[in-house]
Amino acid sequence: MRGKWRLRWKSRRLLFLLPGFAGVLLFYILPFLEVVRRSFFKAGNNAFVGVDNYHSVFENGAFAIAVRNTALYLAMGVPCLMGISLFLAMLLRHLAVRRRFVSAMLLPMAVPAAVMVLTLRILVDRQGVLNGILTNVSEKYEVISGFIPIDYMNSEWALVVVLFSFLWKNTGYMVILWLAGLSALPREVEEAAKVDGAGRWQSWHYIIRPGLSGSFYTIGMLSVLQIFKSYREVWMVAGSYPQEQIYFLQHLLQNWYLKLEFDRMAALTVILSLVLLVVCLLLQKRLEQREKRAKRG
Amino acid sequence: MLEIRKKWKKRRGAWAAAVICLFPAALICAPLLMIPGGALMDGAEINRILAPVLGEGKGFAVWHLIPLYPTIGHFYRLLIESPAFYQLFWNTVGMTAAILFGQLAVGLPSAWAFAAFQFRGRDFLFGLYVVLMLLPFQVMLLPQYIILQKLELYNHPAAVILPAIFSTFPVFIMYRGFTQIDAEIMEAARLDGAGELQIFLQIGLTLGKMGIQSAVVLSFLENWNLVEQPMAFLEEQAKWPLSLYLPQIDIGQAGFAFAVSVVVLIPALFVFALGQDALEEGIACIGVKQ
Repeated sequence: MRGKWRLRWKSRRLLFLLPGFAGVLLFYILPFLEVVRRSFFKAGNNAFVGVDNYHSVFENGAFAIAVRNTALYLAMGVPCLMGISLFLAMLLRHLAVRRRFVSAMLLPMAVPAAVMVLTLRILVDRQGVLNGILTNVSEKYEVISGFIPIDYMNSEWALVVVLFSFLWKNTGYMVILWLAGLSALPREVEEAAKVDGAGRWQSWHYIIRPGLSGSFYTIGMLSVLQIFKSYREVWMVAGSYPQEQIYFLQHLLQNWYLKLEFDRMAALTVILSLVLLVVCLLLQKRLEQREKRAKRG
Repeated sequence: MLEIRKKWKKRRGAWAAAVICLFPAALICAPLLMIPGGALMDGAEINRILAPVLGEGKGFAVWHLIPLYPTIGHFYRLLIESPAFYQLFWNTVGMTAAILFGQLAVGLPSAWAFAAFQFRGRDFLFGLYVVLMLLPFQVMLLPQYIILQKLELYNHPAAVILPAIFSTFPVFIMYRGFTQIDAEIMEAARLDGAGELQIFLQIGLTLGKMGIQSAVVLSFLENWNLVEQPMAFLEEQAKWPLSLYLPQIDIGQAGFAFAVSVVVLIPALFVFALGQDALEEGIACIGVKQ
């Protein structure tokens, strides 16, 4: 009886996963494996070329630039977003009106990319609204004496603009995530520590930060995801060949796709997915270790 | 007097926090105020104030939050005189609806399987789903192009719809919602002789509602805005979604572009307002460690 029940149970639970997994297999995993195979072949005549495609990726000048820019954008964007949103969440968490703030900050999520791009163009053009305001301020108060209008999208400021629009769009999202993580912390511990004379920094360091370690992992992941998604706006503002500072790996992939350079593109696809996979695994390992240590301690 | 001071001292922190948070909130909302004004602005006015951006004048562009000569001319042109708009609008509606429906049909049971069952390879498989979720679209561009060519779906709306249905992001969100359900409830139901399907339908779908709703809202906002996928896989403009209509409008017709923006924004805001509680609580359950 028990055995029969178990068999049925097992086959049932497979049925839950099967349709979804079949689709994932068909549209993601199998074609990806095909790309892995193709990355070792020449695109035109299907001749085996070993690691030549990988060589040609690594020797590509645009690849080096795109790697540097993407790394820089990730290294600036993720900590900035996580830091700012955590700071805001810490401020908001005991506030009665925090829902109002959160709603206001979440609004950009509903704004379509094209709408955001249109307002951005008017704001940060060399003769745009932002430069107009800055010039007015500098003339009136002589704070920034002799302000020269900046051509934001065509200078090294481009990355800053991209970074700001990324923060603009995603801060609210992350604030909610942090608030959720914070609300799951037992309040009594913190209050007890306060009674025992722990300062703000001490309670942050010994109670809040360790309690948030799981949130750090999830929010870090989602921040990276949002960074990748922000390519859409970058591309819509600046096109396929933007200012060098904001030429990312995604531009490179997209341009190779349009030029039908599928062999190099296959190699780059494999490289990038491997990097992402390794980073994910390392992060997860570290999280597990930390949890183990927390349990032992 | 003393009492007020005491109260003030107690509340000072909260007030300071509110004031500090007011800045980012205002900064975030400010650019959105440009949109309605721009949509109602007369073409001549908007071209005059934006002349510097259009490369036709010295000095700097300014912006009027309230138009001097408000007109609904742009909306008239868009809604009455542009049949292409309706074509793309219904394309978007159809695509979004198909994707959402498919994601629910396929993703819900998957998410439930990950949340409710222990099976061999579960952690590995879930890790795979997370990595797939993180991969940028451009990394999956070539693999998807290959499979869509093989299935002869290239340049067919299904080329955008099918891969999106099997996206692993909604599975992740709904999974997080399901993990909030107490395991004891399911155990009790099992002991009472409930079948797995019954447990899923009656317990999972009711108690995991928040996660499901937020997955739907997030998916809607994402798919209402598809840009790269239709660009890559749909050649005919007649099959494009609305989100590709706006970028084609020259900035010289900014007023018209803002009117389109308003029309694109309204459904998104509507869903956002409807689903906001779900979205907030749903996102929140992603953030909590299970």
